[in-house]
Amino acid sequence: MTVRLDDDGTIRLVNDCPAEDAESLLQLLLEHPGSRIDWNLCRGAHTSVIQVLLVASRAPAGSPPDAFLGNLIGPALVRSRR
Amino acid sequence: MNEFIEQFLLEARELVEQATDDLLALEERAADANRIDSLFRAFHTLKGAAGIVDFLAMGRALHAAEEVLSEVRGGSKTVSPKLVNDGLACVDQVIRWLDEMQTNGQTPTNADAAADEIVRRFMAEANSLADTGKNAPDDAELGSWLKRLCADRGEDVAQSRSAFCFRPDAEAFFRGEDPLAVVARIPGLRAVDLAWRGMSGLENMDPFSCAVDIAGLADATEDEVRATFDGIVGRLEIVDLPDLATSQIPPQARLVLQGQVLLLQEGHLEGKAGRLAAAGRVASNVLRHLGMVASASEMDAILVECLADEDAAKLAAAIENVIEEKPANQIAGSVDSARPNQIPASRVLRVDAARIDALVNLTGELTVVKNAYGHIAALAQSGAEPKDIVANLRAQQALFDRLVGELQRAVLQIRVLPLRQVFQRFPRQAREISTNLGKPVKFVTEGDDTEADATIVESLFEPLLHVIRNAIDHGIEAPARRHERGKPPTAAVTLRARRHLENVIVEVEDDGGGIDVDRVREVAIARNVLSSDVVAKMADAEVVALIFAPGFSTASEVTGLSGRGVGMDSVKTAVERVGGNVTVDSRPGQGTTIRLTLPFTVMMTRVMTVEAAGQVFGFPLDTVVETAAVAREHLVSIGLGRAFVLRDRTVPLVDLAASLGLARSAQSGGEAKVVVTSAAGQLGGIEVDRLGERMDVMLKPMDGLLKNMRGVAGTTLLGDGRVLIVLDVQELFQ
Repeated sequence: MTVRLDDDGTIRLVNDCPAEDAESLLQLLLEHPGSRIDWNLCRGAHTSVIQVLLVASRAPAGSPPDAFLGNLIGPALVRSRR
Repeated sequence: MNEFIEQFLLEARELVEQATDDLLALEERAADANRIDSLFRAFHTLKGAAGIVDFLAMGRALHAAEEVLSEVRGGSKTVSPKLVNDGLACVDQVIRWLDEMQTNGQTPTNADAAADEIVRRFMAEANSLADTGKNAPDDAELGSWLKRLCADRGEDVAQSRSAFCFRPDAEAFFRGEDPLAVVARIPGLRAVDLAWRGMSGLENMDPFSCAVDIAGLADATEDEVRATFDGIVGRLEIVDLPDLATSQIPPQARLVLQGQVLLLQEGHLEGKAGRLAAAGRVASNVLRHLGMVASASEMDAILVECLADEDAAKLAAAIENVIEEKPANQIAGSVDSARPNQIPASRVLRVDAARIDALVNLTGELTVVKNAYGHIAALAQSGAEPKDIVANLRAQQALFDRLVGELQRAVLQIRVLPLRQVFQRFPRQAREISTNLGKPVKFVTEGDDTEADATIVESLFEPLLHVIRNAIDHGIEAPARRHERGKPPTAAVTLRARRHLENVIVEVEDDGGGIDVDRVREVAIARNVLSSDVVAKMADAEVVALIFAPGFSTASEVTGLSGRGVGMDSVKTAVERVGGNVTVDSRPGQGTTIRLTLPFTVMMTRVMTVEAAGQVFGFPLDTVVETAAVAREHLVSIGLGRAFVLRDRTVPLVDLAASLGLARSAQSGGEAKVVVTSAAGQLGGIEVDRLGERMDVMLKPMDGLLKNMRGVAGTTLLGDGRVLIVLDVQELFQ
């Protein structure tokens, strides 16, 4: 699973998250609305996954190894909350 | 009043009428998709128009209404009676604001409370369904992505060569596309903005539908960006960011201006005027902010021009010129000289383009005739036979005559309007009256495409409203009474128009109780309209006609609607003022029909000229019965007046000069020349000095100070330049 809820209550995005992960992420966020989201290990995320984060108004914590996610998408998610 | 407000009032009134019409139609058939669309458009355009004139309160109220309507349009909500009522309340408020603006020439400053009230009404409506969350960006806001993208990103903007916004297709995910992955490939990408345009809230979200707008700044050329998106379905907008080092316009301002150009380049017609005005104003404000006052003024002038022509391309070009720092007036060189004269709103006439085309054609033909006269003059000069010249002249004269006739008809056609313009205001009024009185009424209009002169059409609203009020208030029985009589509970009131020869007939028919003749007799006597023995001798039909007598009102109960002391006599006066008459047809127990017979045109009148006290006067030929020469010894004095006998009838005689207060000319000869006229069914003789000729004239109604002058119907110019005063025969005898 590239999107998972760990025992510490954190939702983690790891490796390359495909389009199907959007639904899993959405379910997790609906069931555990307050959870921390972490993308320290995320190497890529499909638009559909980013879209869920956008609607949830959440920017994940951490700095993903992928520069596009870290330098551009992360700030864009933060900005969209304004 | 500035021209924005003038234009606004003109447009807004039409939109308000459209909205009312649609709301009433939806009350009948709630699911009519065309009406829902049309209603939504009307509110949407009104909102845009309110923006043009900076009328924020109105914009706010309409926005609230539009929100709910957009749900109705999307199918998530249906048209309820409450929604119709709220819509009508909103329209009413808008009308009140418009009236205020018409009077004051500026937007009302105290509109907020009323706007809040409207917003509250519609908020309650909106809350009855699931939270719809953030609004999808309005069409008009599409150009604003650039502004958002560049906010607080001065350095990124300065180092980027292009800005883009990509809206992927909603089905993108199903096709296996990953729009962000494409964006990531853009060379030199410096910043990204994401904007969600679906329903807000995770619980409402469809994770398989793509509804995100991706905007970005990149150090890549427009072509490079475009190439990256090649083969991906969606909408892409790219703005080329120029080399800023050499420019005197700061990057932020430049972007705002470019945003306006984008806004203008969208091809939608909806709210076009609003968009034009908004873009133009923003551009001019930006320029003013930069201290480029001259360019700003130029932009204002161009905007006025573009608004008049609805020409978005021209404005866009002008803004682009400013961005590229060419003088703005390169495009608008002719603007100042060509600025249209301001036309007072109340005198604007909407004319079918075909009628204007007919005039253009006639002008062409007249030019041909004009040239022919030049040719004839040349013939005469070269010594042609007078006989040939005369034949030639006669032929041209005949042609000229025909063309002038056609031109006259064509010009009159311009003033002709369908009665719809006044009829469409009544369903709303009828609905209100029937609700207030608790009498259910089905109001039907027929023949609203019947045409009449604009003056007639415009003068009909007041009298018809009065007749319709009377029909519902007094004509139609109370529901209980209808039940007793075995009539359907919903009464029928029909407003009908048709053309009959040179007249337009407008009827208001109800299926009520008819006019109570005995009651009319009682009231006429009680109110001293006539004495009891006169009334007793009158036939029923004559008695019914007494409702038009001044000071008569049959309402036994003064209601808030009719019975305000203004009776049917005001209807009669109003109709007669435009040359018509009113009759009534009452069928006891079955209903009443009030019939207004109006002239088709008030403009062309056949007149007969006469002379009195050395002046020429005209009588409308339709009031002249005949002319007679009466031997003076046959004129008899009756009291202060005089009379003569014409075929065994005694006809009263007035002297024209005397009745106009002119010096009476010496009474010459043994015979008096008399014009026998008929007015309101009565014969009357008018003594004149000399009888003239008949002619067709364009009668110009009296206006200004002379508007209410008695005895004068209008004026026209005679062939020799003298003014011909055309008299109103009926008033001469009163």
